[in-house]
Amino acid sequence: MFKKILIANRGEIALRIIWACRELGIQTVAVYSTADADSLHVKFADEDICIGPPRNADSYLNIGAVIAAAEITDADAIHPGYGFLAESAHFAEVCEACHIRFIGPGPNVIRLMGDKAKARETMLAAGVPIIPGSRGTMADEQEALPLAAKIGYPVIVKAAAGGGGRGMRLVGSPDELAAAMSAARTEAKAAFGVPDVYVEKYLKSPRHIEFQILGDSFGNIVTLGERECSIQRRHQKIVEEAPSTVLTPKLRRRMAESALKVARTVGYQNAGTVEFLLDEEGRFYFIEMNTRIQVEHPVTEMVTGIDLIKEQIKIAAGESLSFRQEDIQTTGHSIECRINAEDPVTFAPSPGKITTFHLPGGPGVRIDTAAHPECTISPYYDSMIGKLITRGNNRMEAISRMRRSLEVLVVEGIRTNIPLHRRIMDDPDFIRGNLNTGFLDRLLERKEDAAVAS
Amino acid sequence: MGGGELDSEIKALMEYIEASSFVEFELEREGFKIKLVKRPIVTNGVAPVVSPAAQVAAAAAVTQAAEAPAPRPAAVEAPDVHVVKSPIVGTFYRSSSPTARSFVEIGDRVKKGQVLCIIEAMKLMNEIESDCDGEILEALVANGQPVEYGEPLFKVRKGAPA
Repeated sequence: MFKKILIANRGEIALRIIWACRELGIQTVAVYSTADADSLHVKFADEDICIGPPRNADSYLNIGAVIAAAEITDADAIHPGYGFLAESAHFAEVCEACHIRFIGPGPNVIRLMGDKAKARETMLAAGVPIIPGSRGTMADEQEALPLAAKIGYPVIVKAAAGGGGRGMRLVGSPDELAAAMSAARTEAKAAFGVPDVYVEKYLKSPRHIEFQILGDSFGNIVTLGERECSIQRRHQKIVEEAPSTVLTPKLRRRMAESALKVARTVGYQNAGTVEFLLDEEGRFYFIEMNTRIQVEHPVTEMVTGIDLIKEQIKIAAGESLSFRQEDIQTTGHSIECRINAEDPVTFAPSPGKITTFHLPGGPGVRIDTAAHPECTISPYYDSMIGKLITRGNNRMEAISRMRRSLEVLVVEGIRTNIPLHRRIMDDPDFIRGNLNTGFLDRLLERKEDAAVAS
Repeated sequence: MGGGELDSEIKALMEYIEASSFVEFELEREGFKIKLVKRPIVTNGVAPVVSPAAQVAAAAAVTQAAEAPAPRPAAVEAPDVHVVKSPIVGTFYRSSSPTARSFVEIGDRVKKGQVLCIIEAMKLMNEIESDCDGEILEALVANGQPVEYGEPLFKVRKGAPA
């Protein structure tokens, strides 16, 4: 087992990893930018190293600085968390070259899954259902027009290196295709450094359902079941839950088998997530595999009782999985609300100093956060200030625990999306489990209607 | 605050910190700054800091304390004293090789752009240059010690080269 792990991240996930290391008896090293000198991950780690100024490129994305920090502290492994360097194949390679264990899959798997077009092709060849669309990337509209006609409009143009909704364009008719492709290429080039795009059929109101995977270095691969992540705004998830209300045991089994096939095809090691879209007719399509721990991993932990971060560390240290597929039982229901420092109506980021901070507690409530009273939410980084997670014996109990938790969760000094979460938890469609990726837009439109009417 | 009163207040503060579980204490007020660092006492494993590695960490983090025994209030610097800070994370070396002479000694006059030390990061030797003309007053880090981004390396009294 590792003696010392450097955490190449900040905020709640850095703390989450520190807690896992504590429980495993592993020393921790925090790295931080000058903007985060007073952060909790710096205070609670055994050692801390300032690696640069606030700008991401100069600190948390600065591979040289992170590696140098690992070298001077003698860390034997690096946990990248999510975001920042978590899906950088190059970083994983540098770690390998420096004899520091990267806690995640190998660089080749990260690279393959990071190229969304290539991942699609690979999975198509493996017999995993994918959304009808181009094989590989498309250079221009001349190439894309016949394909779009064949699969039918609307189609969506996506960046091959994509993620987070950037480099994406919805195309409703053939005359829009040329402009959409050049816009997506420009955006993809700016955001990811590569202009490559591909085209696929646009599913109007699918559900976003993903399966958690764990694989060890002995070829054992299991799935810990699904998470329903359909409540999104501009491709950013806001509420997640496990299990999904829509999966029948039969459909769950089929999707799980496909998820396992994706992972087996690439010989997946460590924690990863296979994402699917599920349409109204119950057809599902592979969209991508995220080769990292995800923000929403706690809902899976709450229903399986398995600590995913500890499993990541044990797998990276060369241990075999301590459970088999048939040992994994999911019980109860869990919901996560991402608490963001943003205006609940306009979604404008709201950095600043938190003056009052009160957290809920009691049965079935978990909070993953690095915020505290008097802390400053920095404008340099992500607006997520914490995650409120509840568990119940059934979905309704998880919802009622979330409702009462949101009532007493007090964050003053900055604006947060807590009021939005309260609305979601009271929404009849949400309560019925009637969800798809259009849910939040519809909810927000209704609020505007209400405002106009009054 | 009068001198005697300040001394007794600092003494009381030191006693309080000594008795507490704090390892480090910093207070900044207008025109006044104090930093107290408690160094772990290693005696047969009975130490105020719980884990052995944390002691190593604390020892590594307070390299400055080796030259300036804690606790002591940070001296108020004269306006012509400039602190050269580390631009990167790495290991600090005063010379280009173990047998070579130090790039600079205390009292040396240096020019802007002159190499003061090397910081090794990822097996690369990065020469760190002075960002002003002046005289080396103090080297703040011992040879071979790890340094973080922004860590003070040298104190230089600014002035045109003689």
